[in-house]
Amino acid sequence: MKLFNLIENEVIKMISKKRLLFVLAILIVLISVFAYGQNRTLERTKAQLAQRMGITATDDWRKLADQQLIEMKNRLDSPYMDEKRKSSLQVRKEQLQYDLDNNINPLEQSAAKFTTKFMEQSIFLFLPLLIIMLAADMVSGESTSGTIKLLLVRNVPRWKILLSKYLTLIILEVLVVCLAFVLSAIISGFFFGFGGWLAPVATGFKVLAGKLDSSSVFNVPQWQYSLMVYSLAFFVAIVVGSISLMISILVKSTAASIGIIMSTLVAGNFISYFLSDWKITRYMFMVNLRLTDYLAGSFQPVAGMNMLFSITVLLGWTIASLIVSFVYFTKQDILV
Amino acid sequence: MQQTTVLELTNLRKTIKGKPIVKGVNLTLYPSQIFGFLGPNGAGKTTTIRMIVGLIKPTEGSVTICGYSVATDFIKALSNVGCIIESPDMYKYLTGMENLLQFAAMDKQISRQRIKDVVDMVGLQHRVNDKVSTYSLGMRQRLGIAQAIMARPKLLILDEPTNGLDPAGITEFRNLVRKLAYEEGMTVFVSSHLLLEIEQMCDVVSIIKQGTVIKTANVHEIVHNNRIEWQLNDPEKAIALLKEHWNITAIQLKKNTISADVNEHPLAKINELFIHAGIALTYCSTKQNTLEDLFLDLTEGDEIV
Amino acid sequence: MLKKSIWFTILTVSLLGLILFSIGFYQAINVTIASSPQSSTNSPLPQTPGESTKLPSKRVNSFQVLILGDSIAKGTGDEKGKGFSGYLPESFKNDTSKEILVNNAGIDGLESLGLLEQVQNRSLDKTITESDLILISIGGNDIKSLLSLNDLAKEDAFNTRQDSYLNTLRETLKILRTNSPNSLIIFLGLYNPYEKANSIENTRLLNTWNYNTQQLVEEDGKGIFIPTYDLLKFNLARYIARDGLHPNSAGYQALSNRISKSVETIIAGS
Repeated sequence: MKLFNLIENEVIKMISKKRLLFVLAILIVLISVFAYGQNRTLERTKAQLAQRMGITATDDWRKLADQQLIEMKNRLDSPYMDEKRKSSLQVRKEQLQYDLDNNINPLEQSAAKFTTKFMEQSIFLFLPLLIIMLAADMVSGESTSGTIKLLLVRNVPRWKILLSKYLTLIILEVLVVCLAFVLSAIISGFFFGFGGWLAPVATGFKVLAGKLDSSSVFNVPQWQYSLMVYSLAFFVAIVVGSISLMISILVKSTAASIGIIMSTLVAGNFISYFLSDWKITRYMFMVNLRLTDYLAGSFQPVAGMNMLFSITVLLGWTIASLIVSFVYFTKQDILV
Repeated sequence: MQQTTVLELTNLRKTIKGKPIVKGVNLTLYPSQIFGFLGPNGAGKTTTIRMIVGLIKPTEGSVTICGYSVATDFIKALSNVGCIIESPDMYKYLTGMENLLQFAAMDKQISRQRIKDVVDMVGLQHRVNDKVSTYSLGMRQRLGIAQAIMARPKLLILDEPTNGLDPAGITEFRNLVRKLAYEEGMTVFVSSHLLLEIEQMCDVVSIIKQGTVIKTANVHEIVHNNRIEWQLNDPEKAIALLKEHWNITAIQLKKNTISADVNEHPLAKINELFIHAGIALTYCSTKQNTLEDLFLDLTEGDEIV
Repeated sequence: MLKKSIWFTILTVSLLGLILFSIGFYQAINVTIASSPQSSTNSPLPQTPGESTKLPSKRVNSFQVLILGDSIAKGTGDEKGKGFSGYLPESFKNDTSKEILVNNAGIDGLESLGLLEQVQNRSLDKTITESDLILISIGGNDIKSLLSLNDLAKEDAFNTRQDSYLNTLRETLKILRTNSPNSLIIFLGLYNPYEKANSIENTRLLNTWNYNTQQLVEEDGKGIFIPTYDLLKFNLARYIARDGLHPNSAGYQALSNRISKSVETIIAGS
């Protein structure tokens, strides 16, 4: 079908543009830096504890965990603790306790753990950045360079051309997320060993009225947990990609699109903290990107949000972006 | 004649941001025609072309290509068109061949062999596998033409096609266009500022000014009417002779100079007649009307809108 | 052509990835909204639900124990995972030949008001009726935050908190007694796990709290107040878990033994 040819064209353009390689390079560099950093922090923590507690066998993780638990408890009892952060801390304390009870070593680092953690931390800012770099250029790049003229003056309807670009974007999103996984696993494997994929990870946390509900918590093997995390990351990639595409179609400049979206993402972090009382906040797409937090039971400062809610909001944004993109793209006059 | 109409513009209008750019253009083109579109900057040439190929939606009016409306039958209409709009912007990070392959993939009927033939036709065989970023302007122009004619379109639209070509290239181009029109039956629509080129290449010309077509004529008719000036000692006798023998109306310009529109053909005989009639012929010269004369005449004194 | 083969590789990888991610996404949603574990690779926790839905009906040859209250009731801190649920049957074994069945409805962080709501919510009624012994550990969370206040604020805050706690507890005991006229009610006293917060003032308050609780429990005909303060005062290192708050396994065992010692005759006679 012609759509297949169009997608092939778009992918070949992407390959030839070297943007993909650039994204790859950023991934490699950042993962290496993070893995290295993690390693050093771990070493340092162990050394500190050895010093402070006079324990030489600091590889006894239970002792390390207990120490952390005591510190958390002290912070919770302090009268100066902010109510909002108290809940998050409480949640993490409960999890640590849980890990102890079930013999899950929370400090041990492994390729599996790092891979999962890396994406959990990247999902709301770093991953979107990579996606935006690919998505923002797909239409506005052709407007700027003028190639869009030749692209549209063919016996192919405009919507099909945009569709081929969108599907190409999805293909690339899958690729980027997969690459993130593979690179994390390999690079961190050199630092922490390549194992850990069968270790139990607690999930099944629910958020009920602002409190963590662990009544139906259960364990899944790390590989399964990782799969869930990366699948959610892929979903986020689709959402961010769709919105970026829409912005780049409206703004017609790659640089401006990237600027706009990055600003909203960064603003999102502030908003979810400062304006968590606004009813509108929870409908903004950028505060709903941390889907993996629901899996891990990390607390959401904005009440009323849970996994289903966030996914619905994000889905809404995606569909709206697509509608705007297609309508605008097919109707606009090309004057470049 | 209806079925063989290749391009039909009916009352084509476009208003951008409240300003009317194209104010009612009507045009009909047939196969094997080379059509020239002339006008000062800002007259609405490129806007019209963009409307023909669907880049811009007309405010009013319609475009029909080979019987298919661009507005309602986009795919079928555009299947018959190949075009270059202003500069042919290709993907600079791909090679010439890769660019052509991209466009070929969008249209099923183009074979590898055809692409090769077209590349030869435009003279890019030696550079087609280099990245477009290394091309000169002339090469990019050739590539643009190649891309436009690949699918054997019935209508070929060229906006400033000889931009960047050297004189040899321009001649080559002219020959190519003639070949495409007369041998392959294409209708070629050329928009250019190079009056000389239009004059040498086109059959029909429309002159557009401030969004309206002010004149459409056969180039043949405009250009082949030569104006001849004679300097002789008996103007009245000469005028009478011209009227009597060839029914040509001559006018007296100055004391001893007359002028008339005469085809080259009978000129030798006319001069012979003058001399036999005893008129002393001092000087005889042709003064060709050019398109430029016509163009400047018609568009004289207009500011760019 | 190199680019063409890259394109095919990308296409294949993407299609595979798409399938994988769809599966993972579906699972992720299930995990966060489902109320029960999904696949067989998961191992459910060794956790008893807060309110049991399926109860063994009272058999003549069994001795039913119901444990109510906070995390100490639940058994948090026991590195072997036993808590009272595990140690009480062991301690009572010598006193009765009947099978000892334990229902544990302990909830982390529960306060006295929460306990009242729990017993008001009819779902535990049957269990309560069928219980021979009800062990309660509550109040620790009510009092916890008071101990770190400075002295000036403490007295008033303490009195207010204590009054509401006692009223709530009175209500709770009334409901329990109504549903189960003959069971033995054992109330665990509070201890001070904070080495740092053992000022004279704090000790006085703790004693007052325990004393008033004991008075209240005594109002019930078949209730007994079992102190824990003295057992743990000099034994924090031995009996407190690494979280510095709950008893550890040895601690639970010691407390269970103390309980059984206090009521062994009653159990033997039942």
